Amino acid sequence: MSDIMIEFRNLTKRYGALLANDHVNLQVKRGELMTLLGPSGCGKTTALRGLTGYVKPDEGQILIDDKDVTNLPTHQRQLGMVFQNFALFPHMTVWDNVRFPLMIRGVSKQDSEPKVREALQLIRLEGLSDRYPRQLSGGQQQRVGLARALVYRPNVLLLDEPLSNLDAKLREEMRFEIRDLQRRLGITAIYVTHDQQEALALSDRVAIMNSGHIEQVGTPEEIYEHPRSKFVADFIGLSDFIPATVESYDAQTARIVVAGVALTAPAVEGLAREQKILLFIRPNDVELALEAAGENVLPGTIRQATYLGDRIDYRVQIHDGIEVRVQTAGTQRLAEGARVFAHLPVARCRLIREE
Amino acid sequence: MRILKLYLHPLWNARLLLIYSFLSGFAILILAPFLMISLRSVGKGWFGKLWFPPEFTLQWFQTAIDIGNIPQVLGNTALIAAIAVAISTTIGILSGWAFGRRRLPGKEVLMAIILLPRMIPPITYALGVAKIFYGLDLVNTYLGVGLAHVSLCAPYAILVLSSTFEGLDERVLEASAVCGANTLKSFFYVILPMVLPGILASMIFTFTTSYNEFTLTLMTYGPDTVTMAVRTYLAIGEGYVEITSAMSVILVVPSLVILAMIQSGIQPEKLVGGFKGV
Amino acid sequence: MLQTWRKYEHNATTWLLLLPAFASFFGLFAYPILVTLIQSFRPEGQADGFTFENYINFLSDPRGRDVIVLTFVLAIGTTFFSLLFSIPLALILRDKVRGHRFFRLLALIPLMVPGLIGALGLLLFFGSRGWFNLAAQALPFVTEPLTINYTLQGLMLFYVWLYFPYTALTTLSALEGLDRAVEEAGAVAGANPRQVLRYLIIPQIIPGVLAGSVLTFMTAFGAFSIPLITGGDYRPLSVQIYKEISSFIPAHWSAASAMAIVMGILQVAALTLYMRLLRQRQVR
Repeated sequence: MSDIMIEFRNLTKRYGALLANDHVNLQVKRGELMTLLGPSGCGKTTALRGLTGYVKPDEGQILIDDKDVTNLPTHQRQLGMVFQNFALFPHMTVWDNVRFPLMIRGVSKQDSEPKVREALQLIRLEGLSDRYPRQLSGGQQQRVGLARALVYRPNVLLLDEPLSNLDAKLREEMRFEIRDLQRRLGITAIYVTHDQQEALALSDRVAIMNSGHIEQVGTPEEIYEHPRSKFVADFIGLSDFIPATVESYDAQTARIVVAGVALTAPAVEGLAREQKILLFIRPNDVELALEAAGENVLPGTIRQATYLGDRIDYRVQIHDGIEVRVQTAGTQRLAEGARVFAHLPVARCRLIREE
Repeated sequence: MRILKLYLHPLWNARLLLIYSFLSGFAILILAPFLMISLRSVGKGWFGKLWFPPEFTLQWFQTAIDIGNIPQVLGNTALIAAIAVAISTTIGILSGWAFGRRRLPGKEVLMAIILLPRMIPPITYALGVAKIFYGLDLVNTYLGVGLAHVSLCAPYAILVLSSTFEGLDERVLEASAVCGANTLKSFFYVILPMVLPGILASMIFTFTTSYNEFTLTLMTYGPDTVTMAVRTYLAIGEGYVEITSAMSVILVVPSLVILAMIQSGIQPEKLVGGFKGV
Repeated sequence: MLQTWRKYEHNATTWLLLLPAFASFFGLFAYPILVTLIQSFRPEGQADGFTFENYINFLSDPRGRDVIVLTFVLAIGTTFFSLLFSIPLALILRDKVRGHRFFRLLALIPLMVPGLIGALGLLLFFGSRGWFNLAAQALPFVTEPLTINYTLQGLMLFYVWLYFPYTALTTLSALEGLDRAVEEAGAVAGANPRQVLRYLIIPQIIPGVLAGSVLTFMTAFGAFSIPLITGGDYRPLSVQIYKEISSFIPAHWSAASAMAIVMGILQVAALTLYMRLLRQRQVR
């Protein structure tokens, strides 16, 4: 028994000229919650549908528990799935909805009763078992969906944007509930979403997808702190990308020039002299001061200051066409039009090649 | 795995084969009767066990037009349909507005009452209509036959138009008022363009109903108001299959034109959709 | 005071708008039925008088009862076979198979084309020299032409041909109204395609399909042109009513009226019963 539960090998799917999945390779470990994160149309849903068998891949294989399931029909894959629009059976009560996977597997009424009861307890909806889905709120419906997916203890739990039809407060609540259930049951899960907050809060690991391929796989920290491409950096959190030119470099650091000012940043692989490159930094890592002090400082003018309550958002013009966005704590207030110096801490800077 | 695929593939093909034989059977059943009519209408000497007529001719059409008096019959049909469409669309617009846009106590019950003529077989009230029209000298007049058709057409028009008017977005009307349009301008520049498709749909459906209507026509027609449907029925009684076929071909052309129009613009579901609530 | 007047005025306008609709309803439907009802109690051929004779004659005559039974057999049979045919057709067409638009269009043809022409074409197609029999006789075990025209089975077939579109279209629209994710959820939960059909699709569409089949029942019950031309000796109520008027001189107006009233009552009763059964299903 290997510790890889799900594996995509070179999964490829075309819709006409559109390449929905372009040689996707991904391994999900046993008991892990892996999130497929990306904008709509990035291929995350196609990959998930490949796993359920609803989409037949053009090339590649899908393995569940070391078994090739690429050609196995959906109903034989032993999966549990929670859907974006809940997809409860509208003509069945909550109880019958949850019992459905057991009924299909030929479990008798008596034998299934404790299991259904337990599943309903898990999601705290025991009292509503005689209701029909339309009589439930969105959050309750999604809980029923969760119970239905878990009732027969599948090997794998799939969640397809399960929270996107819920309101913001409920979304946060359910996020923890899902995470908690998944941990407690130790079930392997794949979670598809376009919401980066959700991905960071929930996942053991995140796979970021863009136009059919996986850009980067890693823990939420890795993804946020060390994005490997502009797309990843841009997709997760706020980012500044400052165009720069490489002047010199060694194994540890690189000297770059932005609008005539020399700066230092940690070196990355594959640098070359005179190369055009992007200096990436998070707006809340930049510090603003009225006087120049220390190294890695860019002079500029505050063009716009926006009050956001807990912080203030500044747009600082460094040079024609170069603008840096800075977010500082709400305690420091600078006027629009003020001459400022933006300090970019070396450790927070990263060089990213332009795509 | 590969062996499994090999076995599954023909199975999948068998499923497709089954689907398409079902569909072709369906297509043959629907289309073959019309094909046979068309071939009959242009065939000559088609006897015995022959799949196709040995010779082609247009003489049956000639005979149908000469003896069957088709040009006048077509004129009658169009005129009667025009009367039925005009009256029922007017009724439909007025009461459609009342149903769709005004507060009306017991709306559902009123609607059900107005739709009643579509639920009762026409023959049951066609008798009474005929008797009344005899008394009023309306039998064998264009107005009389057209009016008889209105009993069936008007519920259709009301149904289609009240849902059209109901679908008008209140906010758009508000927006036009905010933009400074008075009632008259609102009507011509905003409301009319928005409801025109619905009115057209209602006209097409009522036209089809009147054009195809047989029972009520049969009870109220006379020598001067023979319509295509009745003429074809009489021809069937006369027993000349070829001539009857020629008439049928002429009769069916407008229906097909309307079908093409529907297909290109109007959802066919509307044809039956209105009955759901009844 | 002014407000009350405005409200009154508003209501008055609404009723004024409805006036033409009610005028046509009463003038062309309710009043004719009333006239028919009065006529049905008149002794045959007389201008006044009151009698139950017309009803008694019709209902006590075994042939009269046969006509009623035949009408119901045709209407119920047509509804049943339309359902049997429409459900697979709709299931196929909803999957947007190649050419599905064409087949959808085909399903509309019987609705749009005058019933008379359909009837004539079917008589030609299924006649002893029609394509159907030419094809059938190509089979080894068929020696005689099959008789379909003017038989009860043939009549039923023609009825289904003409009236199935109501059922097919409502079934199709019920199917297309379904959330496909529900079926996917069923498959993921372990249901094979047959189980998905049986436990998820059919139970969901059955209310809509039955409501749609009411239309087939309704129109089949009142069918006139098809049995008039293709029925031969099989005459359902509508044809029998017409024959009372057209085959006798002077016409049997009173007898025809009594039959028409019976037919109307039966239709309304059958519909009410059907609707009540449907509602009960839905409530449950």
